[in-house]
Amino acid sequence: MNAASMLAMIVGLLALSGCGQARTRAPRADSGAAERLRATLVSASPSAASAGTEAVVTGTGWGTLTGRFIYAGTPGDPQALVVDKDLEVCGKGGMKLLDRALLVDPSSKGVANVVVFARKTARVKNPVPDVPLVFDQKNCEFLTPVFAARVGQPVDVRNSDPIGHNTNIAGSSFNQLIPAAGSTIYKATAETGVPTMVTCNIHPWMKAYAVFRKDGYVAVTAADGTFTIPDLPAGEPIEFQVWHERSGGLGLSRPDLKWSGKGRFTVTLEDGQIRDLGTLEVPAGALGS
Amino acid sequence: MSAAVHTSTAVKRMRTSIFRVPSRRESSVTMTNHPTFSPSVRTPWPLVAIGATLLASTGCGRTEPASFRLNMVAATKTTAPLSGLKEPWAGWSEDRQRQVATILEAMFGTPDRPEVVPETGLDQGKLRLAAGPVHSDIVGRKNGLYREHCVHCHGITGDGMGPTAAFLNPYPRDYRPGKFKFKSTWRDAKPTHADLVKVLNDGIAGSSMPSFALLSPPQVDALAEYVKYLSIRGETELALFSYIEQELEADATLSEDRGFLIDEILTPVVEKWAAVEEEDAQIPIADLPAGVDFALGPTAPGNRESIELGRKLFHGTGGCVKCHGVTALGDGQANDYDDWNKAIVETGKEIAGSLTQTKEASTGQMSAEDRATHRAKLEWLSAMERVLEGDALTPRPIPPRNLRLGIYRGGRRPLDIYRRLYTGINGAPMPGVGPSGPGGKGTVPSEDIWHMVNYVLSLPYDFDGELGVDRPMVAKDRF
Repeated sequence: MNAASMLAMIVGLLALSGCGQARTRAPRADSGAAERLRATLVSASPSAASAGTEAVVTGTGWGTLTGRFIYAGTPGDPQALVVDKDLEVCGKGGMKLLDRALLVDPSSKGVANVVVFARKTARVKNPVPDVPLVFDQKNCEFLTPVFAARVGQPVDVRNSDPIGHNTNIAGSSFNQLIPAAGSTIYKATAETGVPTMVTCNIHPWMKAYAVFRKDGYVAVTAADGTFTIPDLPAGEPIEFQVWHERSGGLGLSRPDLKWSGKGRFTVTLEDGQIRDLGTLEVPAGALGS
Repeated sequence: MSAAVHTSTAVKRMRTSIFRVPSRRESSVTMTNHPTFSPSVRTPWPLVAIGATLLASTGCGRTEPASFRLNMVAATKTTAPLSGLKEPWAGWSEDRQRQVATILEAMFGTPDRPEVVPETGLDQGKLRLAAGPVHSDIVGRKNGLYREHCVHCHGITGDGMGPTAAFLNPYPRDYRPGKFKFKSTWRDAKPTHADLVKVLNDGIAGSSMPSFALLSPPQVDALAEYVKYLSIRGETELALFSYIEQELEADATLSEDRGFLIDEILTPVVEKWAAVEEEDAQIPIADLPAGVDFALGPTAPGNRESIELGRKLFHGTGGCVKCHGVTALGDGQANDYDDWNKAIVETGKEIAGSLTQTKEASTGQMSAEDRATHRAKLEWLSAMERVLEGDALTPRPIPPRNLRLGIYRGGRRPLDIYRRLYTGINGAPMPGVGPSGPGGKGTVPSEDIWHMVNYVLSLPYDFDGELGVDRPMVAKDRF
């Protein structure tokens, strides 16, 4: 063994013997404070006091919320997705699948697929519908890029392709193989705080979003950027969440609605009122290009 | 000889031995004719001594009591700078993260002293047996089982990032999201206690997870309880960070009320673990179809027929070929990730995109307020990059299983395969062909899943001419 290799070995051993990988410094617990907090958590009697005593503020009757999202800028052309499987179906006749993350209507500048939903309401008007909501896939693309359903409402997950797909709803128990021309029913058992991703693992480019709400106070904007949520309880302040695939919570500059960076605003409706938020301008930077 | 003299001699020798390149003649002579050391390649012992001293001095230093590490990926991601933030981002986010660490310690204790609030439903006695450093307790029972058997792969926090983890494929399980693959329950449900005990006893074939069947049943039981403890702790941590992200405004702090911490944060986590110990939590097992008897082997006429039916389902309705390939070698769709790795991949992409976008958005005409916001965002994004690099293992894709090998990670009994097919594999891309919940409708009738089981179990011994080979198709034929 010569000296150079010896040196190399020592340097190597030195490097290996380092204890810390390049992990960032993680804040540690304050043990004294933890001890005190534990005492309050363990000794207190079951927390009956905190539950259910809050007075529920609400009124009577129902109102409607409506508005329109438009894009303040010119979006780039949608990118073609990398489609490298089952081309006889997924690339039929040279068809190119496009990234649908940002869909802006060229004439009206409306932004499609913005989700608006109530975070919590004291009253709910309509029962959960029994009619299944159809969620279909064709030519290796989910036909609804963003869909909303109520918890417990049947969703008819269909496959209109001549090949098999699996539909995997993140955070749920649903990841089922849907054979060619097959279908199956899914009923969500829990709410989603933000829309959850729906994918097909066989065709990794396939992507959609689903939002499940107990009260059904949720809307997805149409191609022209408009949305309407009817039958909202009047007389109570309702906090709404606005979401877009590109931004998550969509922050807008609307001080009159106290629109926050997390994409939330609060509105109180009167009985029979149709509250139109008007044109909600999404700055170009908010949704990428 | 004094140290000073020793050192200067060493330096001289180093000069003469290291920095002289041996001539070609010298080295060839040394290598071929004389196996003795020539002066130019003599082992530089003083250098070795210096090296050894240096090695010793780089040691990890003092031993601190073991502590749980915050889930820094979640902690950083959920403390993105908010509008209206008045203080510098780093200190602000660190305060929030430290508060979560403190709350977790109050609810769960430390790795040396796990003290859980009663609402966790965990057995303190079992946890004591599994936790802490390895030692004998007052009655001579061995304690510290987790640190003796598990910690080097799964890590002290149960984050699947112990010292050995980076060298293993697949990576050890990260318990913190509370997601488990091999179990008897519905896809997104927790495993039962018995499911965890089974994995500990059997190990996971085809992975680095060994069997711990040589431990006594109470010891295995204690370890299963400890795995649950680390999961519930990790899920509570995620719930707190998700609350911070979803609910807290810039100037608000996390409530430390019992009503909030126990009822709103902990209870929903614990309820899911309690639910699987109820009677109907496990997936129903269909009766075997007529003629199917696994004990008789694949050549029995009833099984032969069943294997043929299974083969049709495998290539048709079941959709198995899409990923496992027509050859069943696992060579179909192969560039996907499991949930644990996917979370890192997706976050990485998001952060990289956002970083480029934010840098581009920077202009000279920003107002002072905008500039501060912009700076905080950049600071957060680069912190995210560092955390993804240092606090997560490099993501690896999950290849579909090669079914010709006869290795079944979740167990090789027909019942185990049935369960994998029925619900799919939680956390992995593998979809199920059974219903997604009680009362649902599956892609393949439950009884017919047994035919698929029969076919899958026959694949390693498949001599027939289906693939045009007269011997078992093995992976090396392909790669």
